[in-house]
Amino acid sequence: MSMRRSPLGVIGAVLIGVVAVVAALAPLLAPYDPHALAGDSLQPPSSRHLLGTNNLGQDLLSQIIWGARSSLVVAVAAATVAVVLGTAVGATAGMLGGVVDAAVMRVVDVALAVPRLPLLVLVAALAGASRTSVTLVIGLLTWPVVARLVRSQTLSLRGRGFIHAARGFGGGLPYIVRRHLVPALGPVLVATFVAISANAVLLEASLAFLGLGDPAGMSWGLILNRALLHPGLYFTSAWLWWVLPAGFAITLSVLGFTFLGVGLEPVLNPRWRRVGPS
Amino acid sequence: MVTVFALVTLNFLLPRAMPGDPVSALVDAGGPARVQDDALRAELAEYYGLDRPLAVQYGQYLGDLVRGELGTSIRYNVPVASLVLARLPWTLLLISAGMAIAVLIGWIGGVHSGWRRGRGVDRGLLVFFLTLKAFPVFFVGSLALVVFAVKLGWFPLAGTRTPFAEDEALLSTIADVLHHLALPALVLALDFAASQYLVMRAGMVSELGADYLVLGRAKGLRERQLKFRYAARNALLPAVTLLALHMGFAVTHSILVETVFAYQGLGRLLFEAVAFRDYPTLQACFLVLTLVVVSANFLADALYRRLDPRVAA
Repeated sequence: MSMRRSPLGVIGAVLIGVVAVVAALAPLLAPYDPHALAGDSLQPPSSRHLLGTNNLGQDLLSQIIWGARSSLVVAVAAATVAVVLGTAVGATAGMLGGVVDAAVMRVVDVALAVPRLPLLVLVAALAGASRTSVTLVIGLLTWPVVARLVRSQTLSLRGRGFIHAARGFGGGLPYIVRRHLVPALGPVLVATFVAISANAVLLEASLAFLGLGDPAGMSWGLILNRALLHPGLYFTSAWLWWVLPAGFAITLSVLGFTFLGVGLEPVLNPRWRRVGPS
Repeated sequence: MVTVFALVTLNFLLPRAMPGDPVSALVDAGGPARVQDDALRAELAEYYGLDRPLAVQYGQYLGDLVRGELGTSIRYNVPVASLVLARLPWTLLLISAGMAIAVLIGWIGGVHSGWRRGRGVDRGLLVFFLTLKAFPVFFVGSLALVVFAVKLGWFPLAGTRTPFAEDEALLSTIADVLHHLALPALVLALDFAASQYLVMRAGMVSELGADYLVLGRAKGLRERQLKFRYAARNALLPAVTLLALHMGFAVTHSILVETVFAYQGLGRLLFEAVAFRDYPTLQACFLVLTLVVVSANFLADALYRRLDPRVAA
């Protein structure tokens, strides 16, 4: 389990680690309350405000720091929902087979055919945009991807000796899934989790950018949304100072998850070592 | 077919299952009627048919859909069908232009990268495309606007056509459309090229050790010929299949790109409809966008059959 063979994976892990630490220590690190009117409006970076201020005079650095928390929480929570739900459905379908399998896969096919963002926009607009609803919606829309993957892996595992043996000793379906299937699927699930997290960061930012973020919360997408929709300021240098930090914060976190995923592939799954990116 | 029906039904049920209703949005937005006026609400609900039982609404919805009627926009008070039809060509134009550029960049990059797996070129391209993929498309779009439209002034700031253009000649109209299209299409393409690159690269890598390449090399074929005529042709198969899946992403990203560039397509319409709780318009946008994706999937399937004789047999 050496990560040393993959420099990309290490870079990814470091990036995510930094974001996680910033998110965890947000109250200590942020110089100002992100909602407080801490200074004059639209200041360029200075010693008092390292990244400047927005149109209301709120400190941008503090907003970015608190934004890390909400972005990471949404990403991880959404990925958890998707992976848990997808694994449950995929494993059940794969183990039971027959009519259940056919029916479930039919649903998954339909769900996969739906383009994600339009549906997400529809649901978020109608359900009201809070952090919880956005998380749930992203999770609930992503599970079919996991379900299909888990099902195909389950089908190939089902015929193996250790599953047969567990069945022969009278192990029930939930038991087999929990004790044998999930550990065997572990590497695949971790890789999927990382990939979905990257996607969730982007989706959350996209939604917030379209104006469907939690208006009371603090998120990177929301900063971009406010900046882009602020009248009369478009494309001035003050606007650039406002937009750049949030944009790069999103990019770096997505990049972190992506690189981590690339690094994890060969480490976690020896089968991919031959063909996967090194 | 089942997929289409499920989408149609989902499209009907979803808005009605959610809190908030268009009448309150309309009344609230009206200003003076902000104080809840029950009589007015009831009248409006009746006018738009929102007071009838759900089953009746559903039956009517299906019937209308078959006749091509998508209802009346609550915000603009014009038939939604005409709104959507006016916007659809722009979105299709944007997506197809973006996809074409993306496929070109992504596939060429993927072929080169996969062929030289593990070498400097491959690593460089891989990191480059992965990084590209991590940039949110609306961020890239805004930056592109600042640099190319504001600072350099090469491209127009927003929109699909120059408003009130006096020159109506065909050639200058085409030039104007392309001029407005270039930047959004390029931004869409950059984002999309990365996915194409990854698929093509993986395809090439899996062909690397194949027997026919060994044979070809033994026959003394040129490296170029082996790379493009042999390996790339086989690597194309998974790329084409995944192209369909990526159509979904392209539609997704066209919403964001259209919002940034104020490009008057379906995505922008959807974005505006959301803000006004304009049910019929929202539904129509969602329906048409999903239908675009489903038909793209269908198309890719057909194309796959033509490309791979084994499936056709």
